Amino acid sequence: MRVQRQCVIDADRDTVWKVVSDPDCYPEFMASLERWEHVTEGPADKGARYIVHWKIGSVPIGGVVEVSEFDPAHDLAWIGVSGVSLRGRFRIRDNGDGRTKVVFRLAYESAGNLLGIIADRVAARQVGRNMTQTLKNLKQLVEP
Amino acid sequence: MWERRYRLAHRNGWVYVCLMAGIADVLDWAKQQVGSRVPKADLDQRDPDYIREQLPGLWLLASLYFRADVRGLDRIPREGPVLLVGNHSGGNLPPDTFVFTLAFCSYFGVERPFYQLAHNLVVSMPGLGSLRKFGTVAANHDNAMLALESGAALLVYPGGDYEVFRPSWERHEVDFGGRKGYVKLARDAGVPIVPVASVGGQEAALFLDRGQWLAKLLMVDKLARLKSVPILLAPPWGLVVSDMVPRLPLPTKIAIEVQEPIDVNIEAGDDDVVHKQVMESLQGGVDRLAAERRFPVIG
Repeated sequence: MRVQRQCVIDADRDTVWKVVSDPDCYPEFMASLERWEHVTEGPADKGARYIVHWKIGSVPIGGVVEVSEFDPAHDLAWIGVSGVSLRGRFRIRDNGDGRTKVVFRLAYESAGNLLGIIADRVAARQVGRNMTQTLKNLKQLVEP
Repeated sequence: MWERRYRLAHRNGWVYVCLMAGIADVLDWAKQQVGSRVPKADLDQRDPDYIREQLPGLWLLASLYFRADVRGLDRIPREGPVLLVGNHSGGNLPPDTFVFTLAFCSYFGVERPFYQLAHNLVVSMPGLGSLRKFGTVAANHDNAMLALESGAALLVYPGGDYEVFRPSWERHEVDFGGRKGYVKLARDAGVPIVPVASVGGQEAALFLDRGQWLAKLLMVDKLARLKSVPILLAPPWGLVVSDMVPRLPLPTKIAIEVQEPIDVNIEAGDDDVVHKQVMESLQGGVDRLAAERRFPVIG
């Protein structure tokens, strides 16, 4: 299941990247975040690991994620190492007029064959709402 | 004539003695049969991959049907053995158990060893063998110690079949029926107790009576360690006795609150003090969750 949301933020790419690449900012702008912990030490970079859980439905869903792409002011991507199979990405692009377009993507796949497919589809609405709220929070955090 | 009456009474006495001896033999035989069907605890039967595949189905049931809400999982120690002690509700189909199992496995990952104690009849019932893959083992001190000594988290419901069949109008009362062996278990294993309070489960049917008198009458209290043969109203059957026949639980909203760990070391006082602390913590949690409910079942 792939869910995508996007927004335009009235700030340059570097300013947006400063927030998106800072692990300590995630509890501030990531909506429905139930758990956010560092697994590895040091600054965010490719290979850094975190435990992330979102409250989806009745319980926290997530697991350990690893940063798979860390391209400053451009792309930040991660993959799930444990828990639900998960890929996520923040695409940060120039939108002209000094503004920045941010695309937030999440692709996930539950185990469990048919019930897994149904669960993914049922969860998609709430995941989408959380992503929309996340981008709103990010916008508020970044824009002066 | 007196001699005849004496002989008759003597003969009747023997018949009575023989009859009682026969019943005792039958009871012993039945008890052995039931006992022999209880599988030995084998912690290796827990299968993380199987659990992982079941989680989406459980998530759908918990999220859509029971609209469950689980809070405070961060209070559970992140690693090492821990004894999770909960109040039990919902009869033989207790929604709180599977909702908490789902929440624990989602939060800590299926890789963290997690076992649950269940009544002998549950683990030996045909068709419920898959529960062992979830980590369900027969409830006794040896199995519990085995799980805790292996470093696992262990979920117990000390109230068991006494509490789970309490009348629905006592749904917000935590009542272990005086059972406090779990404190000794935690002390023996040297692990903290984490209380897990839940509400909603006892609204999955209208429980009318525990039926302890019926259990004694049918002698299942001796045969199968069944202290209750409950009487309840539940769809689709209407009046149900014993809760052994599958029924449709009402879509009651389940709320679960994990509470702060309680240390059981020597300084904590004797078993009664710790037991009182756990009961107060659980009752406080149940009262908080119950205060948030506006209507039965709907939540």
